[in-house]
Amino acid sequence: MADVQLEKINKIYPNGFHAVHDLTLDLADGEFLVLVGPSGCGKSTALRMVAGLEEISGGDLMIGDRRVNDVEPRDRDIAMVFQNYALYPQMSVRDNIGFPLRLKKVEKKARKQQENQAAGILELMEQMDKKPATLSGGQRQRVAMGRAIVRRPSLFLMDEPLSNLDAKLRVQMRAEISGIQRDLGVTTIYVTHDQVEAMTMGDRVAVLKDGHLQQVSDPETLYAEPANVFVAAFIGSPSMNLTEGVVSADGDNYKVTMGDQTVGLSASFVESRPALSGYLDKPVIVGFRPEDLEDAALMPGHPADQRLKATVGIREALGAETLIHFSINSTAVDSGDPDALDELGDDSETRCTARFSPKTKVKRGEEIDISIVSDAMHFFDRQTHLAIR
Amino acid sequence: MNRRTFWGFTLPSVFVMATLMVVPLVATIWLSMNQLFLRDINNPSFIGLDNYREVLGDEEFWAAARFTLVFVAITVPVQMLMGLGVALLLDTVERVRAIYLAALLLPFIVTPVVGTLIYKDLFDRGGLVAWLWEVISGDPFIVTASNVKWLIIVQAIWHVMPFAMVTFFAGLQTLPGSRVEAASIDGASYFRQLWHVTLPHLRVLILFVALVSIMDAYRVYDSVFVFAGSRFTEAHTLQVYTVEVAVDPQIGRVGKGNAIGVLNVIGIFVVLIPFLVISYKDQIRERH
Repeated sequence: MADVQLEKINKIYPNGFHAVHDLTLDLADGEFLVLVGPSGCGKSTALRMVAGLEEISGGDLMIGDRRVNDVEPRDRDIAMVFQNYALYPQMSVRDNIGFPLRLKKVEKKARKQQENQAAGILELMEQMDKKPATLSGGQRQRVAMGRAIVRRPSLFLMDEPLSNLDAKLRVQMRAEISGIQRDLGVTTIYVTHDQVEAMTMGDRVAVLKDGHLQQVSDPETLYAEPANVFVAAFIGSPSMNLTEGVVSADGDNYKVTMGDQTVGLSASFVESRPALSGYLDKPVIVGFRPEDLEDAALMPGHPADQRLKATVGIREALGAETLIHFSINSTAVDSGDPDALDELGDDSETRCTARFSPKTKVKRGEEIDISIVSDAMHFFDRQTHLAIR
Repeated sequence: MNRRTFWGFTLPSVFVMATLMVVPLVATIWLSMNQLFLRDINNPSFIGLDNYREVLGDEEFWAAARFTLVFVAITVPVQMLMGLGVALLLDTVERVRAIYLAALLLPFIVTPVVGTLIYKDLFDRGGLVAWLWEVISGDPFIVTASNVKWLIIVQAIWHVMPFAMVTFFAGLQTLPGSRVEAASIDGASYFRQLWHVTLPHLRVLILFVALVSIMDAYRVYDSVFVFAGSRFTEAHTLQVYTVEVAVDPQIGRVGKGNAIGVLNVIGIFVVLIPFLVISYKDQIRERH
């Protein structure tokens, strides 16, 4: 077990492609860090550099107090779980799990004991003599985990280990991997493109885009205080609604105007973001999460100036909540997520999502009022896309 | 599936198999039991197993059989090992792979007779190898009954190695990179990776190449014919011997030739049995 430091790590491919820029991360001993980002953001490359499968073009990688840039993968004291499990098909489950021990020349009796222990943790005892081809996806995933934990490495690396599983199993394995990691206390770097996995599993989450680190913090902070537009849109599901607007003041009364919608802001909210006063009467990017919107009919006590007027578009009843799609006539904002669907039509309208209580009775095509918790709104600079605080 | 559909689908291939394989085989067996000469091809006379008795008592037959077995036993493993080695090397080449691949395939693409003639030129008087030999040793290089066998074997390896190489190379392209990476992280050295990951992945192809190469080597003809001709009958393989017996314009003994042919088929089967058993077991295992 060890703490791990990435110090200005860079990856430049021979063809000149700069995949990772100055990535600096500090992992405390036993920490679970998730690298998350859209496809092509450099997260897997970063992980593979830590593993030693890709050469590091610049910067220092420290595992414990050893600089391991030029150390062979097998001498880095790491274990890795791959997306496609990478099991050895001709070996039984037991031999797969025990393979690292066999290479370390661990004596047969001790090996068997350690294999059994790993299999016990992962509930694989029944499968020990089977070949990987006869196992289900979830079981193969467990074998891959078993092969990683049996060596008691100082660092676990996991490259999208759950993305080949079906949704239900993924939720289950998510909890299981977190549990095992916490029990073993092994420092872990986990790569995923799924922000739900990132939020639920990580002690801290590092968001990457185009090889640049966007923000690294605990999941709560990431959600509540996104550093920029990209993080704001990427974290949270459905994503944050982002549109252009203008904040203006009339004495002590603050308001934000987005197209023909005007929403009041409390003075205390504006004061808690001193930088915002510098942006008065200038266009900014306004963000509000679907969960901060509610059917006004269900919130009679909500301040009357904190409302949007909208026509209900598509309505998705999910049981525990009902998603309402609507549009407002202010300029849409591109968060820069390459995996996000391109907005149809022009940019002069912003398509928004609201997450209503299932008690809502609104129907498609109906004109409604939507309560908005304006104290939970986010503001970003239009040029730099950085949060205004 | 009803009976008509079944036969509708299978009959065409059954017909082709029957006309191209079963009929000739039965005809061969029948002819092998007849006294029949090339110059009098329309008058077979049934003599039972006499042809077989004669062949089995024929020292030339046994010499050809011995050399054929030696030829198979040396060329097959050597060309497979070399093919594997070259395929592994080629797999590490990143630039202009196609050019290397094409160059390496050349011996296999060249017509066997042409390839052998070019190769033979190297050892003839004035040829590059013969000249080098003379420069180094001082004596002229002479093709003799004892070294001609080795020349044939080396030529065969040069000629068929690309087949093993290209097959293994194709197999290496389907090896999941993450499996090799997993092994390297698990602590495997290069040779351990080769043993535990690469070779198991190529297993089916290794069997396949072994099967095809053994059959091919067993039936070697062109190069022996070109190299040894009638000069070095010691270096005759079973195929050359068969042709010699059966189609010689003077004494062409078709009946005896067919008897050798039948013995050849039996011989190939015996050699291939272990491989057929392994690949059959593999297929059964895959189904479970």
